[in-house]
Amino acid sequence: MERTEKHLYAVMTTILCTMALTGIVVDGPSETMQGFLTLQTHAGRLINDFTTVGVGAALLNSALVGAIGLVLVYFVEVSLSGPTIAAIFTLAGFGFFGKTPLNCLPIIAGVWIAARVAHKSLGSYSLIALFGTALGPLVTYLMFDMGLSLPLSVPLGLTAGLLVGVFLPAVAGSMLQLHQGYNLYNVGFTCGFIGLFASSLLLATDSMASLTIVWSTTYHPVLMLLIPVISLFLIASGVVSEGFEQIRKTFSEFSKIQRLSGRLPTDFFDQSNAGGTLLNMGLLGLASWSYVWVTGAPFNGPVLGGIFTIIGFGCFGKSLKNTWPIVLGAVSATLLFGKDLTAPGPILAALFCTTLAPIAGQFGMIAGFIAGFIHLFMVETTAAWHGGLDLYNNGFAGGLTASLLIAILQWYKTNRPMEDFRQ
Amino acid sequence: MKRKEFLGRLIGELTHFMLEGNPLRMVVSLHQEEDGAHISIFDDRPRPDDELKRIRSSLNPKSHRPELAEYYGTMAGHDMAWDARLKLIGWQIKHASVENTDDGLRIDLWLGSDAFNPANFTLHEKQ
Repeated sequence: MERTEKHLYAVMTTILCTMALTGIVVDGPSETMQGFLTLQTHAGRLINDFTTVGVGAALLNSALVGAIGLVLVYFVEVSLSGPTIAAIFTLAGFGFFGKTPLNCLPIIAGVWIAARVAHKSLGSYSLIALFGTALGPLVTYLMFDMGLSLPLSVPLGLTAGLLVGVFLPAVAGSMLQLHQGYNLYNVGFTCGFIGLFASSLLLATDSMASLTIVWSTTYHPVLMLLIPVISLFLIASGVVSEGFEQIRKTFSEFSKIQRLSGRLPTDFFDQSNAGGTLLNMGLLGLASWSYVWVTGAPFNGPVLGGIFTIIGFGCFGKSLKNTWPIVLGAVSATLLFGKDLTAPGPILAALFCTTLAPIAGQFGMIAGFIAGFIHLFMVETTAAWHGGLDLYNNGFAGGLTASLLIAILQWYKTNRPMEDFRQ
Repeated sequence: MKRKEFLGRLIGELTHFMLEGNPLRMVVSLHQEEDGAHISIFDDRPRPDDELKRIRSSLNPKSHRPELAEYYGTMAGHDMAWDARLKLIGWQIKHASVENTDDGLRIDLWLGSDAFNPANFTLHEKQ
């Protein structure tokens, strides 16, 4: 293991352990554990804020879901680098609103079966396995929300999780071709597509409950301070990893990252150094936190999940430069359509729309603005299509937006008359 | 035809890269063995040293990245509209050599199973 990778393991372990310990300290071991067990029986469909059960329980759940990712990366022997760190942060983020260890593991096992069938290692499909846990609510919805007896519902939920895990690698590869890597949450796009079929089947059997929003507006100092603390820790880790004497180089690598398009797969640890990448992650975290603070939106589970995802993708496609035009587009659409910036849909869209950052990175600010604008009104409707079963609903909407824009841009680029052979 | 698709993707991305230089002449050659293959491509556009270095580093990544090769590697050869991405090839092959010949750029890719050893390649013996 290289020195940088060891440093990254230390950083990730510190963050996850601190979150788990904070959770236990905040609510006490007994209440935290009780809340954590309660969360395991939540369906977790969109939008289900786990902090309403207990801040400590949500923190512990988030840390454990993230730890599953970290342990998996270690044991399947793939690099702890841009894509895997993005996946672990995303797992931890969604541990605040939808993912639990119980609903993640069957999907990972399903992807493992697919890997065996294709004679590949689980490491080869590790990113699909980690991001594929977005369909976790399908497992827990079938287990606990269908009104079936547990001896029937538990095997049903496990089987559904295994099945979607088996299909994920096949579908994820095909979905990539639609947007050509311009939607960072490609597995979210994939899960939305699979979720459409699962939701339609449940509707056909009259087993689909309508969507509800569980959204905390309660202020809690730990939730408020979590992101600044993690962001500052990442920035400090970046500076320490390269050494104080190299601080100028760290900043120059950070500015190098701002020049990258971020199109999938751009591993910033590969294209730059650890210092510049960790600095980018930390600053993205602070910028996102500042936006939420300025708008007055609550720092609850889903909002923290959004910021965690942005921080994670700060080493795998997102930079300050390629995200702001998208956010500006989504915010402009919110205001133009007379919506409240702090309402669940718009605030989450403003954070998660950064899935389209590579469009701004590659085609410029105006294209990014248009992508963000379209994304807002798409994401408001897509959750209902898959019944809230795909936690990465913004990845699904972002995939649709990116596919449309890329198809148009591709048609334009491949029909330039000046490059034809002379007639 | 798993092998056909794999080779097609690599050759597609490689030709995409070479065509970005707008060559007047380009040749692609493939030789397959039971356990591996050799793809050679050359054109009439010599490249400066810094570009050769960049191509070499893209095609010969520092570490083995199976998580990127299997998943994102499927994008290789699919998209001719935007910039070619040699890293998509680099993650999926065993080794690449890049050099300027008298006429232009020459890239050799060596790929195959774990057992495949380019040193045992029989092309030269047959010649």
